[in-house]
Amino acid sequence: MDKDITNEDLMARIAEGDEYAFQILVDRHQTSVLNLIYRFVGDRTQAKDLAQEVFIKVWQAAKSYKPEAKFTTWIYRITANLCFNELKSSRRKKWFQFVRPDADHETRTEEDLPDSSPSAEDLLLAKERTRQIADALQSLPENQRMALILKRYDDLSYGEIAQVLGCSIPAVESLLFRAKGTLQKKLKNFQK
Amino acid sequence: MKCRNVQKKFSAYQDRELKPREQEEVNSHLLICRSCREQYAEFEGLWETLGEMEEIHPDPWFYQQIVRKIKEPGEHRLFPSLQWVFRLLRAPVIASILLIIGLMAGSYLGSILGRSDLFPFQNNPLSDSQGTFFTSMRVFDPAPPGTLAEGYLRMVSYKEDDSR
Repeated sequence: MDKDITNEDLMARIAEGDEYAFQILVDRHQTSVLNLIYRFVGDRTQAKDLAQEVFIKVWQAAKSYKPEAKFTTWIYRITANLCFNELKSSRRKKWFQFVRPDADHETRTEEDLPDSSPSAEDLLLAKERTRQIADALQSLPENQRMALILKRYDDLSYGEIAQVLGCSIPAVESLLFRAKGTLQKKLKNFQK
Repeated sequence: MKCRNVQKKFSAYQDRELKPREQEEVNSHLLICRSCREQYAEFEGLWETLGEMEEIHPDPWFYQQIVRKIKEPGEHRLFPSLQWVFRLLRAPVIASILLIIGLMAGSYLGSILGRSDLFPFQNNPLSDSQGTFFTSMRVFDPAPPGTLAEGYLRMVSYKEDDSR
């Protein structure tokens, strides 16, 4: 029954303080928001914190929400802005704390360290592949990375990506063209 | 359609974002051009490779954590409407503090260096050690003694004297 309720209706109910509606909305979008952030920042813990921030913003903005654009585009826009801001502030923090630029990478590598038992060899190889794909994604400039993630994993149209990023459709086309070109070079040896 | 033009459209073609006529043109070209077909296969291969990136799942208590954060606002949520003011003032405040520290350090150093016991030569004739000190300071001259620059300057001044 909950599946029949549209996101817009849920937002109207959330605006009136309906927590149950909020829970339905969170359940519906938590995985996509979490994974969008995870693929962008490349760190699980940070992704979970940021995903929670996104939903807090949704709760706070419910009263002013106007269903002008598709709900998913709206929530992805909040997510993308949060990701860009987080990246800026973490860069600033790193500068002030004199943290090495590859510290994040190290954290992720530690977290994703595979089981060292010999029977886990396949798992190890798969994880290594995943890590290198994630590294290649991380090497892309912010806008290219976000556009590519939205296209590849969320299958958004160019028009929707343009709305999320606040740019034109030709700009999205160009971002994706360049992102794919860069990744092709970086992951050439990976392709089966 | 030339290969180069077709290859520029691979990305949009793959994403089904070309106009129907363009989509058909690329399609027809791929049927007849082996080289482009191979390049496009690489594009598709990349898309497949990216699909290997793992998907993570939220914790079972994800929603509860959000609700807790909303109901128990942390320190950073104090005066949320004034957050932009704090953010705006942060940089000028840091710059002012650094400026004040710089001025204080400068005046302190100035008072130390200005003391007469550090510069006794201002009033008294030079001792041997003071003479050595000043000789060593001459390395900062535009033409320190014993360098080519000094030799050149001497040569120039000699000529000038000679011409008179």
